[in-house]
Amino acid sequence: MNTSEQQLTEMLHRVTPEPPRRVTVEDIAFRLASQAGSGPQHREPRYRRPRYRQSRPRRDRDPRRRPKWGWAAAPVLAAASVFVVAGASAGIAVLATSHHTPSPPAQGKRDTTSAPPVSSSPTGAPTATGPVLPVGSVIPGGPWKARLIGHQSLLPGSLAGGDGSLYALTGQDLVRIDPGSGAVLQSVPFSSPVANPPVVMGGTVWVVSSYGDARAVLLGFDAQTLTQVRSVTVPAIGQLSSAAQGVLAAGPDGNLYVAAGELVAVVNPASGLIVQRVQQPEGPVSSVAVAPEGGTIYVTTFHASNQTLQVLTYSLTEGGVETNSSTVRSGGGGDLVATSGGVWGTLGSGMSESVWFAPGGDLSSASPYVRDVGGGGYLTVPTLANGALWIGGTHALTCANPATGSVLASAAVPADHGVAEYFGSVVYADGNAYSYYSDNLSQTQGLAELTPPAACSR
Amino acid sequence: MDTLTGVDRPAEPDGFRAFVEARSPALLRSGWLLTGDWTTAEDLVQTALAAAWPRWDSLRRQDAPEVYVRKIMINTYLRWRQRRWNGEIATGRLPEMAAYGDVFAQIDARQALLAALDRLSPRQRAVVVLRYFADQTEGQTAAAMGCSVGAVKSHAAKALARLRDAPGLAELMTGGVTS
Repeated sequence: MNTSEQQLTEMLHRVTPEPPRRVTVEDIAFRLASQAGSGPQHREPRYRRPRYRQSRPRRDRDPRRRPKWGWAAAPVLAAASVFVVAGASAGIAVLATSHHTPSPPAQGKRDTTSAPPVSSSPTGAPTATGPVLPVGSVIPGGPWKARLIGHQSLLPGSLAGGDGSLYALTGQDLVRIDPGSGAVLQSVPFSSPVANPPVVMGGTVWVVSSYGDARAVLLGFDAQTLTQVRSVTVPAIGQLSSAAQGVLAAGPDGNLYVAAGELVAVVNPASGLIVQRVQQPEGPVSSVAVAPEGGTIYVTTFHASNQTLQVLTYSLTEGGVETNSSTVRSGGGGDLVATSGGVWGTLGSGMSESVWFAPGGDLSSASPYVRDVGGGGYLTVPTLANGALWIGGTHALTCANPATGSVLASAAVPADHGVAEYFGSVVYADGNAYSYYSDNLSQTQGLAELTPPAACSR
Repeated sequence: MDTLTGVDRPAEPDGFRAFVEARSPALLRSGWLLTGDWTTAEDLVQTALAAAWPRWDSLRRQDAPEVYVRKIMINTYLRWRQRRWNGEIATGRLPEMAAYGDVFAQIDARQALLAALDRLSPRQRAVVVLRYFADQTEGQTAAAMGCSVGAVKSHAAKALARLRDAPGLAELMTGGVTS
């Protein structure tokens, strides 16, 4: 061996880690016994690589393909009410909460492997169906002159806008939608392991393609063609959160912020470089958001053992924790949206969820506002678009001042012959507002174009 | 009877357990270098050991169980790579190692190594793992891969040239963090 070969040999032995666990004879025996039971077979490796294709009719879909994303839980629509509690004086405002009285899902917890929502029968909801609303129709009684522009089976909360297009996840694909016609222009097979809407930045659509095996893998797709252009692997520190939700965020500095175990990694999307790391000693990060001014990040940590959520604020410039909130009871990891005045987030897990605003990230006085109310299986993820904070639900669509939490305007969401409809995930594209829309009675799902009042434009 | 599958469990051959306990860490590390993740590496090692189990007595008589297991691993890895298109484009570049603590530096080094190995063809990668990690001779490597010694030399030379150009690997090869 020459010198460079010897250096390579030495480096391989030095850098290659020890395995986290060993293979045992019992593993092999189990494999052999399984093979004997089902005949000779070869077990494929667990590669999950996307293959590209052009858009094709949805009826071609393989029904065996199931979304990995828990947001695809069958939506439950029933009687709904909205709480609008301005709690600024108490340090937090629970602004909107979808309230339902549904039967609990099977085995008393969220079904994370259910079929796409459009084909699902809502748990505990009426099974009768109404007439399907034609595309282009004004939705009867809908908020802010809502007009249905397309029948797409989308995951609630997965809608994103940018570069003159809309992007969403169907549970099986990442799709680009023309906001003018509502038509799906491109799609690429993609199933996200965590609830995280696409992040559109610099002509690239970023999604979380893998979240496990001690790492997060991000894929970048060209915003126009949805051709994969980049892949970035972020190694985790410690265990990844079991309640991960909203683990990828865009920062005002043009970087991506990725929660990966007890770490938030700041990734330069152009180079794939991890340019900064923020260690989070309180436990695995379940959600991350970046303040619009930069310099501050908010993270949540979900403690599964006692079902509590904690919000922490970090200074990127000075390092260390700025604010460490008290814990509040929650059914999930929360989902954060940072604004100039603080951070917005969710408590609960879709079946029982509320949206809150914590000025300065202080969640300490949130406990009195946590109510045992239902979200009907929909995750009410707040969105920041066109200068306003938008909160959807099954009873009202609300825009709020993102910095103070005060409500700017709100419109009722109608019930279709007693069965609630849902509007949420408001985004902007080409100066127009769009939202995800669902009506369980008519089994209608898709995109709605909105005309919000001037009060929502800031 | 296996309590999990309800199927008769094959009799465990003599010496198999000792081999698995002694060699599985090294085999898993080879698998990690080939595949880049522990889950697939474990799949690979289990596949090879399951193939070796029924032939164990014969392999022991030939004093060649590890050669056989590595051969199965390499062939299985190459077959998997042929069947599955690897659409992931490795673009991960690494930050300054000294800027972070030991844990970060170790992770960075591993990621740099995997990113560099991703630049190789499957056969080049297999040669690197067998020759320079598993310390196999050119003849043993050729036997495991079912090719000529000349082909092994060619793959090794091309692999070394590509690795030399990989970002961050030169620093790793001349020193740095440990695992």
